[in-house]
Amino acid sequence: MAPGRPAQSPHDSGGGDNNSKKRKDAPTNPQHDGPNKRPRQHIDQRQKIRIARTLSTQTTSAAFQNGALDVSSFVKSRAYEIQALENGLQRSKKALNERAFQQVPKELRRRTASHNVKRVPKRLRARAGREMAVDNTPTVTARRRKPSGHMRLRLETVKKLRALGAKRKAEKDKPKDASVSELPAKDVQPGTITTAIKPRTPKVKKSLLATPPVPKAKFRKRQIHKSWLPTHLYHAKRARMTAPSAPLWRFAVPLTPTAKSYRPTHRASHDRGAVAWDMSYISTIQLEGRESSVLGMLKAMGAAEEDLSGRKASKWRAGLRVLEAFLYERESPHELIAPVTMVWCVYANGAESVEAEGRKRKVLLRVHPSAFFQLWEEVLRLAKVAKPAVSVEDLRFEIGSLEITGPGATEALLGALWPSETVSASNSASNAATTGMDVDTTLDTPRSESVGDIWQKLAGLTNPALLPQNALLGFNVQDPRLHHPPRTIALPKSDAEQHQLLELSASWPIDAAQKSCDIFDGKARHLASTTLPSQKAVNRRKALSPPGEYPQALPKDPRMPVLLYSASSATPTNSSKSRQQPKSHNGGSWTLLAPWKCLPPLWYSLMYYPLSTGQQPRFAGLDQKRQLAFEAGKPWFPGDFPGTKAGWEWECEDRRRREGEWRKRPRGKRVGYEKVEMGGGKKGEVGVGWACDWERLLDGPAVVEEAALGVVEDDMDVDGVAAEKAGDGAGSAEKAGEDTVKPAEQEKAKEDAVPFQAPPKPSQLTQLSTRQALALLASPEAKLPTHINLTSALVTVRLTLLTRGVPQPCARIYRLPTDNADLRRQWLALLPSNLPHKKQKGPKHALPRLPKDAPAHVVQQRLAQSLLEPPRAGEDKYPACPAEEDLVGFITTGNYDLGEGQGTGIGSLLLSRVRDGGEERNGCILRSAGTGLGRLARWEVV
Amino acid sequence: MVRIKHRYLLINILYPDPKSTSGRPATKPGDEVPYTVQFRRPSPDRMDGGVLTRLIRDGVAELFGDYGSGKVAGSLQVKYFSQATSTAIVRVSRDHYRLVWAALTFATRLPNPVGQPCVIQVVRVSGTIRKSEEEAIRRARLSIRQAEAAAKSSNAATAGLAAATPQLLSTEDDDVDMINGIEDPDDPRDIEEDLDDEG
Repeated sequence: MAPGRPAQSPHDSGGGDNNSKKRKDAPTNPQHDGPNKRPRQHIDQRQKIRIARTLSTQTTSAAFQNGALDVSSFVKSRAYEIQALENGLQRSKKALNERAFQQVPKELRRRTASHNVKRVPKRLRARAGREMAVDNTPTVTARRRKPSGHMRLRLETVKKLRALGAKRKAEKDKPKDASVSELPAKDVQPGTITTAIKPRTPKVKKSLLATPPVPKAKFRKRQIHKSWLPTHLYHAKRARMTAPSAPLWRFAVPLTPTAKSYRPTHRASHDRGAVAWDMSYISTIQLEGRESSVLGMLKAMGAAEEDLSGRKASKWRAGLRVLEAFLYERESPHELIAPVTMVWCVYANGAESVEAEGRKRKVLLRVHPSAFFQLWEEVLRLAKVAKPAVSVEDLRFEIGSLEITGPGATEALLGALWPSETVSASNSASNAATTGMDVDTTLDTPRSESVGDIWQKLAGLTNPALLPQNALLGFNVQDPRLHHPPRTIALPKSDAEQHQLLELSASWPIDAAQKSCDIFDGKARHLASTTLPSQKAVNRRKALSPPGEYPQALPKDPRMPVLLYSASSATPTNSSKSRQQPKSHNGGSWTLLAPWKCLPPLWYSLMYYPLSTGQQPRFAGLDQKRQLAFEAGKPWFPGDFPGTKAGWEWECEDRRRREGEWRKRPRGKRVGYEKVEMGGGKKGEVGVGWACDWERLLDGPAVVEEAALGVVEDDMDVDGVAAEKAGDGAGSAEKAGEDTVKPAEQEKAKEDAVPFQAPPKPSQLTQLSTRQALALLASPEAKLPTHINLTSALVTVRLTLLTRGVPQPCARIYRLPTDNADLRRQWLALLPSNLPHKKQKGPKHALPRLPKDAPAHVVQQRLAQSLLEPPRAGEDKYPACPAEEDLVGFITTGNYDLGEGQGTGIGSLLLSRVRDGGEERNGCILRSAGTGLGRLARWEVV
Repeated sequence: MVRIKHRYLLINILYPDPKSTSGRPATKPGDEVPYTVQFRRPSPDRMDGGVLTRLIRDGVAELFGDYGSGKVAGSLQVKYFSQATSTAIVRVSRDHYRLVWAALTFATRLPNPVGQPCVIQVVRVSGTIRKSEEEAIRRARLSIRQAEAAAKSSNAATAGLAAATPQLLSTEDDDVDMINGIEDPDDPRDIEEDLDDEG
């Protein structure tokens, strides 16, 4: 190689003034470093490129000895040339145009990595180091960095406080010292505690709200108005969290990963990989009492009769399945609270006899935190009057949970969850099962198998929906830190093994093997949390184990109780599931319940599990949760249930956010809602443009409309929200436009001071459950409980566009025009089913392209055809949007659906307006807020 | 910003006069050097990029006068010259590459310090250096294969088997290849094709 690679010359690196500038002096070419070497030879990027592009050559004398021409040296000289040219090609392509940090795969790139060589993969480390040295950007570790400004002050305060605390503690501990002998934590045994001092088991405070765990002093100030999830530190580094001043449901919730993740999440959940969430913000309530009285309570809260009793529900009552059902308020409006997941504890000792009837049993209710207080009050009120008594316990900060979905979910969980119990007898049983494929033997084996053993046999399961619906496993696991970093598990390869897995999921021996799960036991939860060894102790044990092997499990190891259940549907849509099957390819997900303190180790093991299909499980935030629910065609609580209290609050918050975004833009660049052409010569958006305006839907246009428009705009200096509610959409939007800056600022200042309070929900707005809605739609005479006002009952629907377009949130849903027969006919003519059947190449929604040399008669035919073709959006003949009388609802979630390959949406409809729609009842017209263009769609109840 | 467009000419220098060239065929009887090897001789040691530049500049000046040399001077650069294989890559501006090509074609002798009769072939004209490098690699591969095949067959011939035809054929193929390798926008065949399309 003639022009040597730019090597660092020792003379240049020691310059005294080097620190002042970013890049060090030129790594000069040693060939030219003569005695008259210039002190500062600057090498810039251009020069580097030139060097990289120079090709090496061979002289004739070197190639041909004595100038003799022969075949071998001829070939050699050619080979040298090829080598030189290829090297040159490669070098000039990437060598010096790309830095080591830029070669890292996209998902590994982090801005924080760019100052630390140790953060790049090993193969790039040497090169990165060289580049850092050239750039004069030394690697600094956070530990050794000199604290700057604010940080120094903060650290000094911490130091002072610590000294004070230590002093106080020393004084406090002094008198006690004599009587108490401290015992090391490692002597504490789970189960049998033989130490002198037992770890204090906290008194269970029943019927009281749980208080969040007291955080470390360092983090306490940041959790005054909110609590952190157990994996907060993991997420805070990698995800966009809720703003510190605006926690969501009293938690700091990760909203979305910092890395781009819309498509990757879709892929990981549908095709390859896994997506996990820390769902510890979901609240848990425990009820304890006689089975009959608990069932009575649930019935009083409106859970459907057939879900609670009867043969189908017997497995749920036995504690072998999970039930998800809507619960309602008991008092008269009987408002929908939320979908609630309910799990029973298995009968103790498996006794299901009559004498066990009288025993107390436990049931966990899991509910979204936005509806927690509503449910809590309801439950407390009912528990007080229940006979025999039912005790209520708030387990919010005791039980944490995570959810994982995608084809690799089961595999990742298997890698992280190592069951504690190891039954030696099961070995022989499993051997029998593998050798003999007889069904009888496999049915016999479960007798001796524990749940943990069966769990490990699930390796190779890619879709939890294969298992019995709402199946559940409860067992104890070892500390995952002992098996960290996790390794890829052995997956079944042969057909026989696959067959066995199928058989297992069909026979489901868990039903026989499931014992009462420890997670229902407060003491077991407490013990698992308190006896967790420190990371130091774990590391010591790992160091003692032979290389390449995990440390041996000891009988003293803490046993983490976990409860694992697969939810194949996000919401209770039992009846509609049989009807609607196109989404069945979408795999179910696993939900894992574990003690709050045990969650971080489990989470880390899960996140670093190397999947057999490559990469690791992805983590995701709230936005991804919503995205996947949307792609599965399922409504997401609370956002898609605007008739509930929680859903209403969510909608108000969304409104505020959208309004803020709208106001922020200059007037010329934002949608002028008051000027939208609505067809039929009307102008102005229906209701408030940035809201799903349910008030407007229920009440119709306000009567003050004329007056409001007449009044001088400046006088309408009312509070923004009030104006929106009272005024007509055009009027309020006008007002918003006319708003001077000053009141807006004042308003903002006011809002900053006081946390945002959602206005109370319109009292008559209610949400119907799927079952009720389907019954009402099926027969016109179907009865509804008298308390529900049908005229204002909403039902959640999923909308599919029939032609083109993508629905946006807040889009208006109209039924097909009812009183304008002509317009209705025009819309019906657009239905794809009414179009002449055509099979064609070319654009999807237009006539096929003609070849250039088409004969005249074909061109004429085409012209005639194009006259018959239905009008396309934007053309004059395209039918106008229906009038406001035909408005039936709004879209709450809408987007392009990656799974469907077209736009879909989830929204809510006013059931009374679509109940008697005649033919094409399910047809509807969507119009995005701020546009005048309607699109045909079809809705179905979900 | 407008990018300055160049053309890269891939050049082979051939030395037709065996007496005055540097690489002498081995004189031992029975160790016949194949024709393919003799055809592509190495350049003399004194020949380098600078000499080639001078050759081109002089040639352009001779053929096209001050006008030509002025047009070419700004952009002419020898990007690569390998003595052992007598291959070079020359860069010229896109508008004037034909002047350089003509000068190369008309060259019969290397300039003075070397002073050898030569024939210069332009085998490829491309818009990027990358493509001409790739072409050079392809040609080097091809000639290696040919040389090895020829060596084998000549060995076979000395052993008493007559196998001269394949060698001949292969050289013919090679020559055809070289003509095809040249990009010419005004190639008559291309024009014919265009006409076909329209008709």
